[in-house]
Amino acid sequence: MFLDVLFNIDNGYLEGLVRGFKSGILKNQDYINLVQCETLEDLKLHLQTTDYGNFLANEPGPLTVSVIDEKIREKYVLEFQHLRNHAVKPLSKFLDYITYSYMIDNIVLLITGHLHQRSIQELLPKCHPLGMFEQMGAINVADTSASLYNAIIIDTPLAPYFIDCISEHDLDELNIEIMRNTLYKAYIEDFYNFCKQLGGPTEEVMCDLLAFEADRRAFMITINSLGVDLPKDERSKLYPRCGKLYPDGLNQLAKVEEYDQVKMIAESYADYRPLFENVGTNPADKTIEDKFFEQEVKMNLNAFMRQFGFGVFYSFLKLKEQENRNIIWIAECVAQKHRTRIDNYIPIM
Amino acid sequence: KFFKMSSLFRGEDMTLCQIYFQSEAAYSCVAQLGELGIVQFRDLNPTVNAFQRKYVNEVRRCEEMERKLRFLESEILKEKEIPLAEAQEFCEAPKSKEMIEMEAALEQLEHDLQEVNSNKDALKKNYLELQELRHILTKATTFFEEQDRIQTGEQTVLQMETQDRIQPLRLGFLAGVIDRERVPSFELMLWRICRGNVFLRTAEIEETLEDPKTNTQVNKTVFILFFQGEQLKTKVKKICEGFKATIYPCPETASERREMGLGVMTRLEELKTVLDQSLNLRKSLLTNAALNVKTWFCRVRKMKAIYHTMNMFNLEVNQKCLIAECWAPVNELTRIKLALDKGTELSGSNIQSILNRMETKEQPPTHHRLNKFSEGFQNIVDAYGISSYREINPAPFTVITFPFLFAVMFGDAGHGLIMSLFALFMVLRESQLKNKFRTNEVWQIFFGGRYIILLMGLFSIYTGVIYNDVFSKSMNIFGSSWRVGVTKDFDFEKVTVFDLNPNTNANHSLNEIKMYSGNPYPFGVDPIWIMSINKIAFTNSLKMKFSVIIGIMQMMFGLVLSLLNHLFFGKMVSVLFEFIPQVIFLTFIFVYLCVMILIKWLRFDGSPDSTQCAPNLLIELINMFFFKSAADEDPCKALYSGQSIVQKILIVLAVLCIPTMLLGKPIVLYLRHKRKSQIGQRLSDSGHLNPIAQEDSTSDSTNEGVDLKIMRETPVGKDSPDTSHDDENENFDMGELAVEQCIHTIEYFLGCISHTASYLRLWALSLAHAELSEVLWTMILRIGLKSGSVPGFVILWLVFVPWAAFTIGVLLLMEGLSAFLHALRLHWVEFQSKFYKGEGYQFMPFSFEQILEQAENPDKI
Repeated sequence: MFLDVLFNIDNGYLEGLVRGFKSGILKNQDYINLVQCETLEDLKLHLQTTDYGNFLANEPGPLTVSVIDEKIREKYVLEFQHLRNHAVKPLSKFLDYITYSYMIDNIVLLITGHLHQRSIQELLPKCHPLGMFEQMGAINVADTSASLYNAIIIDTPLAPYFIDCISEHDLDELNIEIMRNTLYKAYIEDFYNFCKQLGGPTEEVMCDLLAFEADRRAFMITINSLGVDLPKDERSKLYPRCGKLYPDGLNQLAKVEEYDQVKMIAESYADYRPLFENVGTNPADKTIEDKFFEQEVKMNLNAFMRQFGFGVFYSFLKLKEQENRNIIWIAECVAQKHRTRIDNYIPIM
Repeated sequence: KFFKMSSLFRGEDMTLCQIYFQSEAAYSCVAQLGELGIVQFRDLNPTVNAFQRKYVNEVRRCEEMERKLRFLESEILKEKEIPLAEAQEFCEAPKSKEMIEMEAALEQLEHDLQEVNSNKDALKKNYLELQELRHILTKATTFFEEQDRIQTGEQTVLQMETQDRIQPLRLGFLAGVIDRERVPSFELMLWRICRGNVFLRTAEIEETLEDPKTNTQVNKTVFILFFQGEQLKTKVKKICEGFKATIYPCPETASERREMGLGVMTRLEELKTVLDQSLNLRKSLLTNAALNVKTWFCRVRKMKAIYHTMNMFNLEVNQKCLIAECWAPVNELTRIKLALDKGTELSGSNIQSILNRMETKEQPPTHHRLNKFSEGFQNIVDAYGISSYREINPAPFTVITFPFLFAVMFGDAGHGLIMSLFALFMVLRESQLKNKFRTNEVWQIFFGGRYIILLMGLFSIYTGVIYNDVFSKSMNIFGSSWRVGVTKDFDFEKVTVFDLNPNTNANHSLNEIKMYSGNPYPFGVDPIWIMSINKIAFTNSLKMKFSVIIGIMQMMFGLVLSLLNHLFFGKMVSVLFEFIPQVIFLTFIFVYLCVMILIKWLRFDGSPDSTQCAPNLLIELINMFFFKSAADEDPCKALYSGQSIVQKILIVLAVLCIPTMLLGKPIVLYLRHKRKSQIGQRLSDSGHLNPIAQEDSTSDSTNEGVDLKIMRETPVGKDSPDTSHDDENENFDMGELAVEQCIHTIEYFLGCISHTASYLRLWALSLAHAELSEVLWTMILRIGLKSGSVPGFVILWLVFVPWAAFTIGVLLLMEGLSAFLHALRLHWVEFQSKFYKGEGYQFMPFSFEQILEQAENPDKI
């Protein structure tokens, strides 16, 4: 508690900044207005009145969704990098941890693209700028995960996470998916331990958020692997072990064979029970992913109730990401004149 | 009549107007109004989204033009030698028809520029590649020489062992260029992937190369890789690709390289001329554009502002005309009408726009007509709160009282002189300085307040002369009224303190010498005091009393202004039950204190017996409340005869004011409300309409020749919060009124005491200032003045710098800031609390001048 007093010396400015950024997140009224847009030009006009300001002002028309996506991402990255450049230890380390997840995504994206015979130069612009690292361009040299590790990953911060996926098998779709999940598992567990080590409000907020993230991954892996040829013991290796499901829930999940069993397991956890209710396959119903997203947004908003911790940084970035997804979703719906599902965004309130 | 004219005193008389525009004429009319800049339009469609408004397409087109202009501007700024011409002195808002023309012109320009640019970029890229190749060829020579040396060595060894059985081992190689900062990780990865089977040689390119994509100068490195076998080659190529290294073909033999090098050189030469041509073309294009860019900006921004404003208008049902609502000063209605006429004429429409005045219950915005001088002072007042509509604006009085109160605290003629010279410099160089250091916030603060600083400096000189304080020294201009005289047998050895005799008539029987001439020093404090040891005691008493007198005068003045406010708004109840008790209370206690001060000054002249008798006024004031007086005990302490009884009467009357103010207004308002509702009851019983629907005072106001009818209809923009408490008679809340009055009363009566005490800061700060500057003099500058002539000169020379630095830094800047803040507080709290509500909102006219200003400096608020 006493150390909270010292929090602002290093991090007060950035925390203030991040709270300021957060207050610029689009409100429900903004979404209501956005949904009414007829064209992307309308969308641009409305976004001008929000915190996005003139971020599209220098784009020659006609506007496309990909331009909006690129610019939104640019703004997000700019904000993040401003925070990162002003951060000192341990906040800088914390922010670096956030970028690792983008690195994992980028590696997987590049390898998958390479498998599909896409050229690296074509894939690189699609990578998230926050997950960029120097050796990325040469990723196509590697054919097996072992060579991938030895040549590329070894110099990145992801190296320790990779230990479990080294094998001499050729990389194929399933292998990559397993690799991604193994990396994520190791990453989340490591991040979780790092936050635990930081202690204080950071620990309280972040461990909650990461536990949720871990459990969501466990559920999703189980649900997605139901029809796939994946041995159960392989599957159970992919579950991150820092959530509320660990250990009993994960043990049960490992044995699951159909969707209803997953639901049964969720029944015994108060946090997850409501998420599995009212989930249907009709287009009007919400999918289980959306439910999880909604819950995540709620938790991230709650993180702002706490002060003197790093949770707000993580939460802000997650909220912003969700907002970007929302805007792109709406923009896509507007551009394709496919208005029936335009309301499927997840409002942040 | 006079008060109505002067807008700074009460702010302009405002009115809500409705304007009917002919659809075609609306654009040019709004343009004229924008040039005029004295109407504030209200948004009549607050619920409509930005992109659903009528002129959104036009706004969008303007934005597109702005984008093109920004592109042009950024391209022009890239070329350092092309000057960006300023906008024309007066750039007229373009006609609505001209939009297409402008769009076409800009489109053409952008297209041309992009073509030239892409051409230039391609050439530059080519040029870069050739340059890189040239470097590779020159560097490669050294690499190959080394390699040959090694190989010949190897060959001899091999030949010795195997005797021509195998061909000499030839290594494959790749040559290329890579960014210098990527070299280490490149090398590391090569080593990792090829397991050390690749030999890398690098050489830095000394000159920087221009990156055609970003137009920045980058450092690069030439590298050459030797490896064996095809498999390695593909791997190495992939790595090169991954690290964005460019690989160039490089011939193996020296002669081929030389040949190629020559070819590259000639191609470089050719390319250089083509590139220069292309750059010249671009430059001429940009130079032409640079002449007009600012003017175009101005025109496009005006156009955008017009359409933006028109988006706030209402469309009439048959789409024939647009309806606007706006606030405007009544005095300006003629000019507005003229502007509308001109706009209609310009648009070629034959139907006049119609301007109607409307009635509204909403509080109009506050508008003061300002110039560069009054602006600063108005800002001081506005920082506290924008004055309520038509209430007295303290700014005109602040012009004098603010610098004066500042100077009372900052009284030093020397410091004042420096300050006024600095301000004078800013005032005289106004036009040159206006556009300088726009981004420097601190400078902007000083520059914005230049007239305030000037007056503060001048007043400081004045008070400094009164205090007789110049850099803590006194000036003996008129000759002191005192002289030190001693008899011949005076023993200087024994005496350390020497009393000056204030008696004008020396008593020779006591061997007294006349030391005081009897006539006080003509202006300010007698310079003799600078040498006395009781100087502080003397100036304290003087400054303290003066600050009380000044403070009470200012508070009294504030009360008089509140009377003017009550009379203007016709609140007789407030005059009777607020103003009068307040004035009585202040007069009978505090003005009486001032009177006592004056009597004490006049009656007790410093002769030994009168000094004994002089009463302590603070104790006297406190005793007043206990119905005691020093005069009761010792008649010689009486200031005048009958003092004790007068004081008792004053106190009783003053205290009686408290319940009067506390209860008077609520009771009267309650009775009035009761009577009114009874009358209303009776009238509604007898079936009459309510006669209390009084005539509005604005209906009979004349408006300088423009015949406007007053609309009785309610405005369209119903966003006014006033609709809720439409008729204040309806919801009369006795409890709320009583509480409010109670707070008001307590605030005032306690305030009188605390505010009077608060004015003592005038004394305290001036004491602090005088002492600080004296300390600075004795501790620093005097070191130099004390020593002998030659060392003294050197020391003085050395010591002057810190003295000057402290004088500027501490005494002028820090003390000045603190005196400024205290003066600000005295105005906001002690003075303005007596009469000023400050619950209005600023008039924000639609003005091109402001819009352009803001577009030029988006950071400045």
